[in-house]
Amino acid sequence: MATTASFIIVSRNDIPIYEAEVGSATKREDAAQLHQFVLHAALDIVQDLAWTTSAMFLKNIDRFNDLVVSVYVTAGHTRLMLLHDSRNDDGIKSFFQEVHELYIKVNFLQLGCSVHVLVFHLSIVEKN
Amino acid sequence: MGREVSESCIDSLLTEMVSSYCNRFYANKPELAARRIEAIGYQVGHQLSERYTMERPRFSDHLEAIKFICKDFWSELFKKQIDNLKTNHRGTFVLQDNRFRWLARMSAESKAAQAMSMYLYFPCGIIRGALSNLGIPCAVSADISNLPACEYPESYVLCVVMHACSLCSNGHCHGQL
Repeated sequence: MATTASFIIVSRNDIPIYEAEVGSATKREDAAQLHQFVLHAALDIVQDLAWTTSAMFLKNIDRFNDLVVSVYVTAGHTRLMLLHDSRNDDGIKSFFQEVHELYIKVNFLQLGCSVHVLVFHLSIVEKN
Repeated sequence: MGREVSESCIDSLLTEMVSSYCNRFYANKPELAARRIEAIGYQVGHQLSERYTMERPRFSDHLEAIKFICKDFWSELFKKQIDNLKTNHRGTFVLQDNRFRWLARMSAESKAAQAMSMYLYFPCGIIRGALSNLGIPCAVSADISNLPACEYPESYVLCVVMHACSLCSNGHCHGQL
């Protein structure tokens, strides 16, 4: 099943650390820019919502046409944001948790280094 | 996350780090050595706080974050919790550890007090890094005192003083030592 999905990691200072298109569907040329725009527009909503709950996984916080934004916030306010069109909450939650673990491991290598490890992992995201 | 390091390795690493920075890299410039060691601690604390907060829900306010530092974070690093926490409710917190583990094997000569203080910059940096990652920019300083009359005669009491900087909310806070 072809899915569109776009994933970014944003640090606590609102600096994008990592971006990737992880869906399996074929992309239009401007789709990447549109996805990036939608994800960044959702940052304000995440900001407000993050203070109302102590959970890490905030489910669908925003939608655009048929695409939905889901967010996972860590204690250090690093936001893992996924733009997708599927509805598999549990799969997405476990995806976020695996990315969180990988992020912590990569973090120890060097703050801000390129995340080849994550790129490899995200090829597994078709389970969404 | 499961993996552990031998304690003697940590002791050796800390001793060697202080010795390298004070005697080789920045000989005759103890302030620069101290700053460098504190910056290393800052980075370590930043990453450690991400790691240790992974399994638990996020914090709803600053006090929760400080309690996390006093309990979970301290026991991950030093295998015990903070013994005493005081605050003046205006942004200053004093954490007291009656048996600071990283100094447990150091001798108690009085003339080594200045040298002893070099070993405190790394833990201060760790605390400052952890807190700034949890959203509390602060300045951390530490003090040790030897209480011969207390029940742990050969141990050091470490008092860590944290000033939460309300003016530095953009996260750029200079750690003061």
